[in-house]
Amino acid sequence: MHKIAEVEIQHDIMLANKKLAKRNQRILDKSDVFAVDVLGAIGSGKTSLIESLIKKMNVKIGVIAGDVISKFDANRFEQYEVPVVGLNTGKECHLDAHLVEHALEDLPLEKIDLLFIENVGNLICPVDFDLGSHIRMVVVSVSEGDDTVEKHPLIFKDADLVVINKVDIAEAVDADDEKMVSDARMLNPDAIVIKSSLKTGKGVDEIINVIENFMNK
Amino acid sequence: MHELSMADAMVKTILEAAEKNQAEKILEVTIEIGKLTMLNPDQLIFLLEVLTEDTLLEDSEIHIEEIPVEIECKSCDYKGLTNLDDSDHYLIIVKCPQCGERDLKVTAGRECNVKNIKIEKSD
Ligand SMILES: Nc1nc2c(ncn2[C@@H]2O[C@H](COP(=O)(O)OP(=O)(O)OP(=O)(O)O)[C@@H](O)[C@H]2O)c(=O)[nH]1
Ligand SMILES: [Mg+2]
Ligand SMILES: [Zn+2]
Repeated sequence: MHKIAEVEIQHDIMLANKKLAKRNQRILDKSDVFAVDVLGAIGSGKTSLIESLIKKMNVKIGVIAGDVISKFDANRFEQYEVPVVGLNTGKECHLDAHLVEHALEDLPLEKIDLLFIENVGNLICPVDFDLGSHIRMVVVSVSEGDDTVEKHPLIFKDADLVVINKVDIAEAVDADDEKMVSDARMLNPDAIVIKSSLKTGKGVDEIINVIENFMNK
Repeated sequence: MHELSMADAMVKTILEAAEKNQAEKILEVTIEIGKLTMLNPDQLIFLLEVLTEDTLLEDSEIHIEEIPVEIECKSCDYKGLTNLDDSDHYLIIVKCPQCGERDLKVTAGRECNVKNIKIEKSD
């Protein structure tokens, strides 16, 4: 005889990632590493910003560089002789806590104070996946269009620091950078919003200040 | 989009539970998806159908229930559902329905939950 039964499962698929993210944060905390998630659109300037920070900050920096197939970004960081792990996400459009866990195993955490985790260039997919970092920095640029912020509210809702980059070319691409700033503030009154140009160096000191404040909290 | 890895994780969870309960067939599956997750239900169903070929899950009925968004307002202590309008479902994370303030915490709506399954088994 056959019978029919209902089986309760109640298993949140997102929870597995959240648990792993918490574990990552414990691993980071144990070695006194402060980790910053770096999210943003393709080509918004994530790698360039991390490069500027490596050059200017007086702390020991490490990087996890996520990319879909290449190791281009990882190679860029290696020139600065900082510890780098490149993560190829393959078909995936975002990093997850499990990938980061393995990257942490490959990093000399005791030699790092500040770890940047550059996510895959994407404003949608990474939102659901905590990695275990302490703050989230979202980098968008004026060349993506000045409606980029309002079109992707969730990623800004979760950000601690929002960088509106490439303001040096705002006029050339006919974008209103102030609108992007006020959209970000509207979506997330708690976030710190900074305009930057990595070409002229504008805003970089301010970004450093903010990160240092978070580190000392 | 990352529906593929999500669907894959769901199938694993479901098949594990089915095996543990000596299921011979899985008739129905219920999955809850928070309205604020970046998952597209139609795409999810499609992928689940592809991934479950030749498994106990083949031909089972997949139900997807959407979990509405709930918030806690930091300004006026409002707790609960946001009245959300499908044409503009993002605005709800911006404003409290009671006081209109924007400083709030999302307490529900980001889940991706395999809720239950209905199975057939022998006595
Ligand atoms: N004019 C101008 N160009 C910039 C600025 N910041 C970055 N760029 C340029 O924008 C391009 C992309 O910069 P990346 O730093 O590689 O951007 P990314 O976000 O790391 O890109 P992906 O990792 O591929 O998503 C490069 O050619 C940079 O030189 C800026 O502030 N102003
Ligand atoms: Mg990059
Ligand atoms: Zn309120």
